[in-house]
Amino acid sequence: MKIEEYHDMIYACGRCEICRGFDYNDRCPEIFTQHWESSTARGRMAIARAILEGKIEYSEDLVERIFGCFMCGRCREECKKAAQIDVIAITKAMRQDFVDQGIKIPEDGARMADTVSNSGNIFADPPKIHNKWAEGLEFKEGSGTLFFPGCLASHRFKEKTNILVRLLQAAGYNLDFLGDEQECCGTPYWITGTMDNAKDYAKAYLQKLQNRGVKVIITPCPSCFRAFDEEYPHLLGLEQFPIKVRHTSEILLEIVEKKKLKLKPVEKKVTYHDPCEIGRYRDIYDPPRKVLEAIPGLEFVEMSRNRENAFCCGGGGGCKIMYPDNSQKVADERIGDFKQTNAELLSTICPACELNLTHGMYEADLDVRVLDIAEILAVSAGVVDSEILDPDYFPED
Amino acid sequence: MVDIKRVTALLQEVVSPSRVTDRDFDMIPYSRDLSPANQKMPTHVVMPETREEIQGILKIANEQNIPVYIRGGGTSHWDAYLAQEPGIMLDLGRMNKILDINERDLVATVQPNCTWAKLDHELRKKGLTYLCSEAGGPAMTVGGSVMKAGGGPHSTAKFGFHGNQDIVTLEMVLPNGDIVETGSAAWPSAGKFKRQCLGPDLAGLFIGAEGILGVCTELTVRIRPATDISERLTATLPTLDDVIEFGHFINKHVGDEYMQGIYLWVDPSAPEVFFLMMDIFGYEKEIVDHRKKRIVEKLKELGGEIGDRAPADDYFGRILTGLTDLFTAGVWHFFGSGSLRIDDIGFLYKVWREEVIEKRGYTKAGFGGQILPRDWLAFMVTNYREPEEWQELVKMADEIDEITLRGPVVPYGIGGRDGLRRFVAERDTGYYRLLKTIKKTLDPKNILQRGIFIPEEELQ
Repeated sequence: MKIEEYHDMIYACGRCEICRGFDYNDRCPEIFTQHWESSTARGRMAIARAILEGKIEYSEDLVERIFGCFMCGRCREECKKAAQIDVIAITKAMRQDFVDQGIKIPEDGARMADTVSNSGNIFADPPKIHNKWAEGLEFKEGSGTLFFPGCLASHRFKEKTNILVRLLQAAGYNLDFLGDEQECCGTPYWITGTMDNAKDYAKAYLQKLQNRGVKVIITPCPSCFRAFDEEYPHLLGLEQFPIKVRHTSEILLEIVEKKKLKLKPVEKKVTYHDPCEIGRYRDIYDPPRKVLEAIPGLEFVEMSRNRENAFCCGGGGGCKIMYPDNSQKVADERIGDFKQTNAELLSTICPACELNLTHGMYEADLDVRVLDIAEILAVSAGVVDSEILDPDYFPED
Repeated sequence: MVDIKRVTALLQEVVSPSRVTDRDFDMIPYSRDLSPANQKMPTHVVMPETREEIQGILKIANEQNIPVYIRGGGTSHWDAYLAQEPGIMLDLGRMNKILDINERDLVATVQPNCTWAKLDHELRKKGLTYLCSEAGGPAMTVGGSVMKAGGGPHSTAKFGFHGNQDIVTLEMVLPNGDIVETGSAAWPSAGKFKRQCLGPDLAGLFIGAEGILGVCTELTVRIRPATDISERLTATLPTLDDVIEFGHFINKHVGDEYMQGIYLWVDPSAPEVFFLMMDIFGYEKEIVDHRKKRIVEKLKELGGEIGDRAPADDYFGRILTGLTDLFTAGVWHFFGSGSLRIDDIGFLYKVWREEVIEKRGYTKAGFGGQILPRDWLAFMVTNYREPEEWQELVKMADEIDEITLRGPVVPYGIGGRDGLRRFVAERDTGYYRLLKTIKKTLDPKNILQRGIFIPEEELQ
């Protein structure tokens, strides 16, 4: 079993309950939606230990406890103060064990991995549809700086992605784009435990990028960012990925710090949702805030749960696809945090968060736009009309 | 034998089916606590939201003769809330609300699974605080710690443990389903403002009883204005006798103030170094400065050395805000512990030094404690790894408990089969006989917390 690799960590759990937090469900979106102790990190370590000791077995009934984890890393963040258990790594190992043992996992999760294998992206888009966002844009093949939007930004956020590229190009970035050659980064494999094909996939992808002369990847998607920067080296046994990977939070900060664009006022009160995968996973908390604070006229306000304490948007861990109701419930809770700020705009810097929080806004019947920070910066830089900030603006995509 | 499916169906009649489970993987997380107690599995876990649901669950338990166990934060150190027999685990996680903060009467009313940290967070928004901390940290629930008469290292020199007067009223569901309110809350037309009135102090009956006499569904606690003037000190004293003298000085001269008391720590690597941490806080700077001056003078008179305050800042900060590094990898176990007179701390130290370190060669356990009003809470504590170190640890801790409790030490947590209950039963005191009589009267079928505190055979 894969979890045997984590034996020592599993037994390191002192059952202190710090992971659960100072209210039983204020930290962990899984216990928020499933409410049992078996949904917590402490509970999961107890289950993993019982499996290692042969007291219980992986079963179809157990699937929701393990695949219903949003992998937001909130418990792992708390455990840094305690036993330093990598709960996410153990959760991924448990998911892989389910798959390896042939136990039925959520159908939509399994299908997502299959879809990637069969079509190259999670939506089964043909290339023409998947790349529609790039219409009218020009890229420079072989520039060495690859713009990698990822599946969600390509499929669901065509306008946002188009604006982002226009902003980057206006700031002087000479971007390449894979076009019809672009495929999913592979994240669905590791979040669903479908690892048979993962190593070969990563190897082939790296080869493709190297053949094209890619030296730097710029991506707005934290999952793609971490896929290349963390998962690929792990899968391929490399100390680090041979291509530099940069999330757009870093690029946008570079734009404002180096004054690559002239900014005009955006008179809006804006709050920011920390995406788990760049926040807790990578400690990227300040760059998005600094970008917002650099925009003249913009009033920045924090949500009550922010930075390492931020509550998940509900889109993580594949739950958006595997457990949509739970995902929506978490988004609704996060929108509750937003409402307390009285902000006019909710910003973030992750397509998955943007999608789930947008659905949260619909559910709450709020006329508030959920925007990528790049969109707000693009308005400030005059790259796009300020109408995209209007509550009743509805993008064509 | 519990007919699991039948009981599940019955429970689902009184509690939403989504809050009843009998699946093995849902039982596992409730099978251990913070102690090295053997794993014990319940048959069901139920998450009630109201006292009426608890009444319904207890009715089923009585009719089906199934024990009911209570779960707060799951951080007992004494095997006090594990299912000693197959039975229903009552997870009170969803009863976690702050019901009222009364700024005029200076009381707050909470549901049992509200944590101290949650309560204090809300109180501080209003310039108020509870002050008395729990050693278990932010995740410790109010109900859980009061039902075990717990306490922590902060401010207990003045206020004592939760069993002291800071607990104003309780609402309890008895094993037969009756609802009892204590103190002034017992008088229907009054309010929740006073602990001792209307005859005997019934709150005292439930505090520390580890849930064997009733399920706590509401607590009203004393609160007070927050203090923002504090001083922290560390010092080392040359001998344990000096620590004892300092303890008496604190009690006589500065104890009746917002004073941490003395938190003593003796590391096994340096058993002759008596390290003290102190926290002084109050409303007036002049008073705090005066107390600090007196304490420093006394420490110097005793040959102590004043140290850097940073370790005390770190320690109290962690206790109150996050327990960083306190829970490292592995499991903590407190043993050889209890309450004792200030003058008797030497007894416990001698046991630790001679029996634990020298005779048994166990060098991973530290020794420490805190001065409460007129007494010590002292303990030996170690961090160990399961499963490889478990057997040695349990054997050693059991032997030390035996020695310790023969001396002037009163246990402050009893627990179940793997806790200290046998030591209580062996002594067959009038106190114990009365407790058994009360238990039999309130819970004739021994439904609630069966096997906790009192072995089942003692009640037959």
